[in-house]
Amino acid sequence: MSERNPKDPENPVLPGVEEEREVTLGGPERGLAEVFEVPIGPIHPALKEPIRLTFRVRGERIVGVQIRTGFAHRGIEFMGMRQGRNLVQVLYLSERICGICSVSHPIAFTQAVERAAGIEVPPRAQYIRVIISELERIHSHLLWAGVAAHELGFDTLLHLTWRVREKVLDILEELSGNRINYAIPIFGGVRRDITPEQYPKVWEAIRYYRGLLEQLLDAFLRDPTVEARTRGVGVLERKEAEGLCAVGPTARASGLRKDVRQDRPYLAYSDFQVRAITPKDYGLTPVGDVYDKIVVRLLEVGQSLDIIEKALENMPEGEITSFPKIPALLAHLKKAEGEGLGWHEAPRGEVIHYVRLAAGDESLLVWKVKAPTYSNLLSWYPMFEDQEIADIPIIAACIDPCICCMDRVYIVRDGKEEAWTKEGLLRLSWEKTRRLQR
Amino acid sequence: MSGWAVFGEAALVLIGGGIVGLFYRGLDRKIAARMQARVGPPIRQPFLDLGKLLVKETVIPKTAVTWIFSAMPFLAVLASFTALLYLPLGPFPPVLDGHGDAILVLYLLAVPALAMALGGLASGSPLGVVGAQRELVMLMSYEFPLAVVLVAVAWRVAVLGFSPAFSLGTIAMHPLWTVVGPLGILGLAILCLTLLVVTPAELAKIPFDIPEAETEIAGGLFAEYSGTYLALFYLADAVRTVVLAGLVVALFLPYGIAKTLGLAGAAAQAVDLLFWLFKVFAVMVVAVTTVRVGMARLRVEQVARGFWLWGTAAALGGLLLLALDKVVMG
Amino acid sequence: MILKTLISQLLSRPATNQFPTKYMPRSVTKFLTRVQAGEDKVHPPVQVPARFRGKIGYDREKCIGCQLCIRVCPAKVIEFKPETKKIRMHVARCTFCAQCVDVCPTAALSLTAEFLLADTDRGSKNLIVE
Repeated sequence: MSERNPKDPENPVLPGVEEEREVTLGGPERGLAEVFEVPIGPIHPALKEPIRLTFRVRGERIVGVQIRTGFAHRGIEFMGMRQGRNLVQVLYLSERICGICSVSHPIAFTQAVERAAGIEVPPRAQYIRVIISELERIHSHLLWAGVAAHELGFDTLLHLTWRVREKVLDILEELSGNRINYAIPIFGGVRRDITPEQYPKVWEAIRYYRGLLEQLLDAFLRDPTVEARTRGVGVLERKEAEGLCAVGPTARASGLRKDVRQDRPYLAYSDFQVRAITPKDYGLTPVGDVYDKIVVRLLEVGQSLDIIEKALENMPEGEITSFPKIPALLAHLKKAEGEGLGWHEAPRGEVIHYVRLAAGDESLLVWKVKAPTYSNLLSWYPMFEDQEIADIPIIAACIDPCICCMDRVYIVRDGKEEAWTKEGLLRLSWEKTRRLQR
Repeated sequence: MSGWAVFGEAALVLIGGGIVGLFYRGLDRKIAARMQARVGPPIRQPFLDLGKLLVKETVIPKTAVTWIFSAMPFLAVLASFTALLYLPLGPFPPVLDGHGDAILVLYLLAVPALAMALGGLASGSPLGVVGAQRELVMLMSYEFPLAVVLVAVAWRVAVLGFSPAFSLGTIAMHPLWTVVGPLGILGLAILCLTLLVVTPAELAKIPFDIPEAETEIAGGLFAEYSGTYLALFYLADAVRTVVLAGLVVALFLPYGIAKTLGLAGAAAQAVDLLFWLFKVFAVMVVAVTTVRVGMARLRVEQVARGFWLWGTAAALGGLLLLALDKVVMG
Repeated sequence: MILKTLISQLLSRPATNQFPTKYMPRSVTKFLTRVQAGEDKVHPPVQVPARFRGKIGYDREKCIGCQLCIRVCPAKVIEFKPETKKIRMHVARCTFCAQCVDVCPTAALSLTAEFLLADTDRGSKNLIVE
């Protein structure tokens, strides 16, 4: 049961919830050097998306950091819940939560809706979803590797990785009709089949990347300057990764074998026996620094290739959707009632969608999205601890942040930032539940 | 030589230096682009950039110390261009030969860096301040190896008995490679290598572009500079590239090809001047372009430690070998 | 090592697809007029695959005015014209999901390979399909 809060006896402390984390890092301020603030963002060349990090630095060393989000909240959940949009329309909205994981969100969303509405997905459709999402992982990880190289000032590697990334984008374009925003999953299946003529092209891309992977590993992991800049930088210890609920490659680089595909297999993933990759698979002891994160992401490119190969070999025949006619699908979804949870291991970590459908209503009653960056953002605090200004961009980039995907409302009233307390939020949620029950 | 002739020569060298500097910057960008499998900008791009910057509005931030902020770009340009006048240009001795020695060139190379640091500090932006701190740390770390290299070569030439001993013109006239013994050649090679490593640091290019560090501190020193002032820094940087590459050439590669080709008179001078320009270009490609596309940016403390330990050790080692060689060879 | 990559890339052709020209023309509008007059050439873009989702094509004759496309369009691109029982599409809003093409019962809507749709006016002829 909850215990009494000594500071505020009226409000009990919920068990398992720690006191608010102090944002000032390091010990008491000492030394002669003056501490001054360096603002990074909301617009800054190191950040690809708007977020503000205010660093307190002494000389080149970071002594404190404050993270402020809320610059790019788009209210997508709210848009999806508004009356007048049916689920098929919301599906494309969910695709636009993230431009890079543009199949991860629809996959999680369709799963949630399928669970809520009791729709089966034919096996072939599951395999196609897996193939597309693994292709997406390859493109996303290569994109990240290029960005990381750019943050280190190594533009040649940026151009190299982005050039080889073209191949996977071409394949995605070939399979889906577009390089980004593939529009492949739909409730009950997928929209496009993989035709026999397309198989050789996918195989060719797999061979291309197999040949390249060694060169990429060599260029990134055995380059002395890259090593000098990433080893021991932005360390997230295993304990901290666990405590802060880091997800995806950020957690795996700290040695946590944590992967939704392994822990809670969905779609056809149970056929592939996915095992979460950690630096141990490369013969390293996991430290949790930026170097380990490069290792994990590059190895995951190889893992994705394995999965795609297996999926192509064992592709079942059959239907690609259980609702070939969209009007029938819409009618079914209108009748459906219930709630569902959908999850997916996006390139950045687990993404979770929660939906609630009401009978007789075309639109969503509740839609909740948790993007992976939402879980990973807090791991910035221990990573920035006692690092140098020079390391800010690469540490900020190493969790592969996707700020717009996770952004939440930030309330500024009369020029003052307003914070919602735990109790306030709890009350808000009670009120909402009561409103829904009515 | 009459005063007017010197003046004319100087004007020629300054204008030519500026044009060559910008042209080489264009080549540098083009080659870097091709190394990265890109098309890259046209070679005339630096001229277009400079022209564009000159017509843009020059913003002076409210928080800046205006006079320092405005004076520093001019100081940087002045110092960089003045250094051109002390540089032996292939077959031609420096324009101001005899009016200042190699040590002056050393100072002239340090002044633009100092000017940038002061400008950054005066800009009143935290990014500029961080950039300035980094520039000063860099200056302190690479200046010593640079000085040792210069002094070692100058001393060895002075021992040979030529005067004015510490002039770059004299040094360029008497290449050391053929004078010294095997130990000396090893020493010279080490010194040459040290100078090649110092060159990108002096020019603040990757892996030493720490004071600007686009992704870290958004241009650092230059974060608040715009318009004409930024154009001046740009020009100063282009000219300094030529000066430093020219310094490497003067100290370690001062050979001409005209004699080997059997030319004489004006033709020989023209060929040697072209060959000198080519040598400068080659040094730039090796020491600046290839290095800046082939490496990641280092941290300032890594650079400081590297230069203080390895840079200094290498430079002093080279000097020691050169001295030993003198003792052995007599 | 990276040096090997650098040298091999220096000696080979750049990977860039030089569409539409190698360098930025001094004046884009003049360049385009020259291209139209046949005095200058545009470097061709990369070939798009067969399934490419480009601008939506519309066959007026086949359209029966069922409005299914309007129901599924996520971006509200399609406008119904009650007097003729046909539709009008505002391509400037289109997200190219091709859901309308999938849902159309008479195959009046189709995918085209056209993707050069930049325009200064969202009501221009190129961006309205009817």
